[in-house]
Amino acid sequence: MTIAASSTQSQLLARPALAARMVDAVKVYGSGATVVRALDGVSAEFAAGQFTAIMGPSGSGKSTLLHCLAGLDRLTSGQVFVRDVDLSTLNDKAMTLLRRERVGFVFQAFNLVPTLTARENIVLPLSLAGHKPDKAWFDTLIRALGIEDRLLHRPSEMSGGQQQRVAMGRALVTRPDLVFADEPTGNLDSKSATELLEQMRSAVDEFGQTVVMVTHDARAASYSDRVLFLADGHIVKELEKPTTDTVLDMVRILGD
Amino acid sequence: MWRITFSGLLAHKIRYALTALAVTLGVAFMSGTFVLTDTIGRTFDGLFTDVYHNTSAVVRAYQPFTPQANFTSQRSKIDATLVSKIRLVDGVTEVRVDAQGYAQLVGKNGKPIGNPGAGAPTLGQAWNDVSSMNPYRLLPGGYPPRSSSEVVIDKRSADVGNLSVGAQVMVLTKQAPSIYTITGIVRWENADSPLGASITLFDQATAERVLGEPGKVDEIDVAAAPGVSQQQMAERLRSALSDPKLEVLTGKQITKEGQNSVRDALAFFNTFLLIFALIALFVGSFLIFNTFSIIVAQRLRELALLRAVGASRPQVMGSVLGESLVIGVLASAAGLGVGIGLAVGLRAMLVAFGIDIPSSGLLISPRTIVISLVVGTLITVLAAIAPAKKAGKIAPVAALRDVAIDGETRKVRRTISGAIVTAIGLVALFIGLFSHPSNRVTFVGVGAAVVFLGVANLGPLVSRPLSRVIGVPLTWRGTTGQLARSNAMRNPKRTAATAAALMVGVAVISVMSVIASSMKSTVSAVVDSNMRADFVVSAGGQPGSPIGLSPTLQQKLSTLPQIASSTGVRAGTVRIDGSTNIVLATDPRHVSDLFDIDLKQGDVASMTATGIAISQQKADAKHLAIGQPLKVQFTTTGTKTFTVQAIYGARQLAGDYVLPLAAAERNFSQQLDYQVYVKLAAGTTPADGRSAIDPIVEHYPTAKLMDRTEFKHQQLAQINQMLNLVYGLLALALFIALIGIANTLALSIHERTRELGLLRAVGMTRPQLRSTVRSESVIIALLGAAEGLVVGTLFGWAIVSALKSAGVTQLSVPIVQLVVVALLAAFAGVLAAVGPGRRAARLDVLRAITTE
Repeated sequence: MTIAASSTQSQLLARPALAARMVDAVKVYGSGATVVRALDGVSAEFAAGQFTAIMGPSGSGKSTLLHCLAGLDRLTSGQVFVRDVDLSTLNDKAMTLLRRERVGFVFQAFNLVPTLTARENIVLPLSLAGHKPDKAWFDTLIRALGIEDRLLHRPSEMSGGQQQRVAMGRALVTRPDLVFADEPTGNLDSKSATELLEQMRSAVDEFGQTVVMVTHDARAASYSDRVLFLADGHIVKELEKPTTDTVLDMVRILGD
Repeated sequence: MWRITFSGLLAHKIRYALTALAVTLGVAFMSGTFVLTDTIGRTFDGLFTDVYHNTSAVVRAYQPFTPQANFTSQRSKIDATLVSKIRLVDGVTEVRVDAQGYAQLVGKNGKPIGNPGAGAPTLGQAWNDVSSMNPYRLLPGGYPPRSSSEVVIDKRSADVGNLSVGAQVMVLTKQAPSIYTITGIVRWENADSPLGASITLFDQATAERVLGEPGKVDEIDVAAAPGVSQQQMAERLRSALSDPKLEVLTGKQITKEGQNSVRDALAFFNTFLLIFALIALFVGSFLIFNTFSIIVAQRLRELALLRAVGASRPQVMGSVLGESLVIGVLASAAGLGVGIGLAVGLRAMLVAFGIDIPSSGLLISPRTIVISLVVGTLITVLAAIAPAKKAGKIAPVAALRDVAIDGETRKVRRTISGAIVTAIGLVALFIGLFSHPSNRVTFVGVGAAVVFLGVANLGPLVSRPLSRVIGVPLTWRGTTGQLARSNAMRNPKRTAATAAALMVGVAVISVMSVIASSMKSTVSAVVDSNMRADFVVSAGGQPGSPIGLSPTLQQKLSTLPQIASSTGVRAGTVRIDGSTNIVLATDPRHVSDLFDIDLKQGDVASMTATGIAISQQKADAKHLAIGQPLKVQFTTTGTKTFTVQAIYGARQLAGDYVLPLAAAERNFSQQLDYQVYVKLAAGTTPADGRSAIDPIVEHYPTAKLMDRTEFKHQQLAQINQMLNLVYGLLALALFIALIGIANTLALSIHERTRELGLLRAVGMTRPQLRSTVRSESVIIALLGAAEGLVVGTLFGWAIVSALKSAGVTQLSVPIVQLVVVALLAAFAGVLAAVGPGRRAARLDVLRAITTE
């Protein structure tokens, strides 16, 4: 009875609602003289089935935005909604369950539990909840990701690209409301990075998945539907239907 | 390099704190033992000096050999008439006579005071009026015993028994119990009683009669005129008496003898406790080894960087050893401090157990300080050598690359080295057990320790497959159990070393359990198959302990028509062919009614007063046959020749030699029945028998009437009591092993910060994370317990086999108890995981996944 299970693909498509939104989000680190406003009143909406990239120079608050949106961190003020759930009302346990059932993650590095096989890593969020994976969906997923023959391998026996695809599989296995990717291609060679980005794109196109990705790579951002540019805790620009060139232009204008 | 050592220590101070605690606890146990026994020793040295302060010389019977240390003298008595002869010796100013023997007071509540079977003795003595040589000090309001119906008792007994001057008190002696009036209460020098012994003082004639025999005394003490040295006095007495059956000691010699007897008892106590302190330290050394191994692995890059910037191999190794040295010294010093506190606590415990130790300042001898610091430091440094070597071997390039230091186990090498070490240990152990070297305990102890090291060395080979098996039930619980199992399996060396600490503790417990269980089944088997008596009356204690029943009890029982036959069993110390034995004596006419001694040759019932029955084993060993002579030396009467008249098989019942009661009456120093066995007349029901016997037994407050079942239980209870004491002392070793598990888990969690963060990010709840840590802990604990149970049971089997000649004939492995031990270990694992689990659950998810 996961939320993932109930929010089937057809429902997602039938209801072009918001997967998540952020209202007046403020995140302050430290206190007194050393106070840093990582997010300084950010409002943003993330439509279901949309692939959003977040860019900005280091210290712009892009990672903070992602962490707060994903239920990994809490805002100082303002609100974050995943679907209709206000994250600020959740305690640690509810937040954990939300991450487990409604959110998928792909990190830059150290994405997989080294003692588990690829298969076990993929189904980890389900098995933590004591659920069995939907066999048809699992098969579809691993075929789409091209990791059928890697399922019994442990992370140490896989290449970086394979590891990230397994992480992608784990992020998608619950059919979450949102998938967050934090510099997912940062540690990959360009061929593997291209493969991963294509798979993320097709997760959005074919499975109707909502993806939010933090990146500083213009080419990676070009796979998204829109790019949000952050600077000093503010969204300073939004770019629809980006290409590598338009993104690079924008980065130059904003002075990355 | 010292700066690096210190900064290394400071950076990891919390990680080291638990390690240090293991050393501190072991050292505390050790130093506490030393301080306690030194303090008690010095106190009694002083007391004996005070007691014999004015004694110039002592006359007593010559004793051809010394029986084991015992407060009841087994010397023969001397004629009281010697006093008049001694008074005439030139220089003698005063003469004090001492007559002593078993006497036990009965408290106001009807309960006997003191338990000489298990604790301090209960003694009767003659009061003497020579105040300069009387260690007893009458408290105000009392006066000495002046008639045969008056006694003076020690303050401790008065307090325990709620007795006061003027009260009537029952006193048990070898005579029938009698009532006396208390005329005074005394202290022994500045203590309420001597070592917690219960003392009854009679007038001299009564003392001779109820404790020994009229006209006989134990010791005559002499005070000398000024100017006459102790040597001169002793010499004069020797020539005046000129009797080879007497010996004359100087005051200094008798003081020394008293002091030594306490020192001997203390030395045993000291060794006993030190063994457990050493076990605790040994367990601690595994912990130290493991902590340093893990820390070296975690500091791989830092150490490689040192190498890269020019530190030599010995320098890196030295910095790690330096850390261990500092920890060892600090932890040992702390242990010394804690130990002194512990000594205070232990002393309070002894006092609570009825061993009165006069208060005096604690004695902290230089030896205590030196040994504690040296042993604690040495163990720490020795345990850190292997990790330090490993640190030295780190290649400088490791600073730049991500290489794991805990590489794959080199299986062949490890198997061979582990097997060799184990084999060496086993050889030492078996030499100790079966070939009777002079220092058996050392051989067994060192052998066992080496076996543990060997098995620990083999541990990494078995820890992975064993963890896999042990973890199976946990995986049924889902992902958390599965993760826990793979965590326990991911670093076999670490898991094995952590489990090894627990293995040692559990193994020692298993050994004790197997031995105790085997002793119990032997006892049960003896009662079931060798005892025909329906009832046993006993005052408790072991053969040879200074307690027993007045022979009048058996005499009264023998007159009952409901009783077909009965006999008292007495015990005495004798020397046969140069070895000292405790032998039993009983009435030959009733033996076959009361016991099945598995007679092989000869006849028991017709044994004469100069006959002896011996075991088949001794008959074979000494090539003795029926009718042949056997010389037996007694403490009191010297060497007597007996004739072998019976040979029997049941030596676990009767020991190697049995004398007829008539011989015991003539030659034993103690004439108390250790036990009385009773066979009911045909047609008498046990209930009728009991109601006939009870009224007689009731007059003897120490006597306990037991049917066969009760008797068996009483025997088993004695073994259980000892076992519980040992378990209690082993608790420290187990506690240290637990610290080890907690420490390893904490270090592992630190190392897996990112992984745990990831798990939390993808939806592992805090309880699930704690459960994972807990399950891993349980797996490690069960692994250690399983190894310990196997090793311990094998040791137990070997030791029981070695004890066969000592009369433990049944091997029994207490399965239920061992399963309970395993379950307790699992529970202990749960406890050990509490702290680390909490820490893991508190991890900040964000920091965990963003740490670089």
